Amino acid sequence: MSKKKFTFKLLFFLVFTDFMETFTHLCFKKSALIDNEVVITRFSEVFVFLQSVFSSPFLWLGLLSVLGTFIIWSTLLSKIDLSVAVPVCSFSYILIPLASIVFLHEKVSLFRWSGVLFILLGVVFVSLSASEKERALE
Amino acid sequence: MKRELVFILSLIALTSICDTINQLFLKSAINSLVSPRGNVKAVLKFIIRLILIPRVWISFLFSVISLCIWLFVLSQVDLSFAFSADSMHYIFIAITSRFILKEKVCLKRWIGIVLIVVGIMVVSLS
Repeated sequence: MSKKKFTFKLLFFLVFTDFMETFTHLCFKKSALIDNEVVITRFSEVFVFLQSVFSSPFLWLGLLSVLGTFIIWSTLLSKIDLSVAVPVCSFSYILIPLASIVFLHEKVSLFRWSGVLFILLGVVFVSLSASEKERALE
Repeated sequence: MKRELVFILSLIALTSICDTINQLFLKSAINSLVSPRGNVKAVLKFIIRLILIPRVWISFLFSVISLCIWLFVLSQVDLSFAFSADSMHYIFIAITSRFILKEKVCLKRWIGIVLIVVGIMVVSLS
């Protein structure tokens, strides 16, 4: 199988799913922001919260984006190895804090960025070990 | 402040556990079928057969629960924090696939998991 061929087009779609994922979580965050002060003390208030979130158009936009990401992602996985796809997609661990700064005006300290770096390295290591398994299967 | 952090982190852990259960059921359902080869028709047939397996419905149920908890978490904390902390599902998935699906987890993967744990701790302290 010529599964190893890694073209520019595939890379483009991989990075595109990163952006889609970032968009998804931005939408989710926007939909959850409707009620600025959410304090849940009783169980019934959970439903009040969910009702307000599910009536937000942002949530449905986010869910649509999840579906789109899923379709592109599963098509991509039939063409390239998971161990190649996952490190490229963990790019969203950087994209999401960046998007939070720009669109949500969150503050991300240098200390937090260093934590993100550790997570990124960890994800790359986890997926590197997957490539060994795939090689063993061939 | 500290207690709130513990509460939010445990909620994030809960969504990660729901995600893990979701993935486990999905994977075990997919494992029980022969994977499709080639054309679109075969893939569609595969998906329809997959949807008919009850385990897939359980998987779907857990992803809905996970989404609801995730939305509540997002209403409480920064997205940049929540998304980083959500990477703990890598840890749960590695542990459960080792013990439930009996997959082999090699040294490199354990190193990756330790790095993720360190990363989450750093992000939570900031």
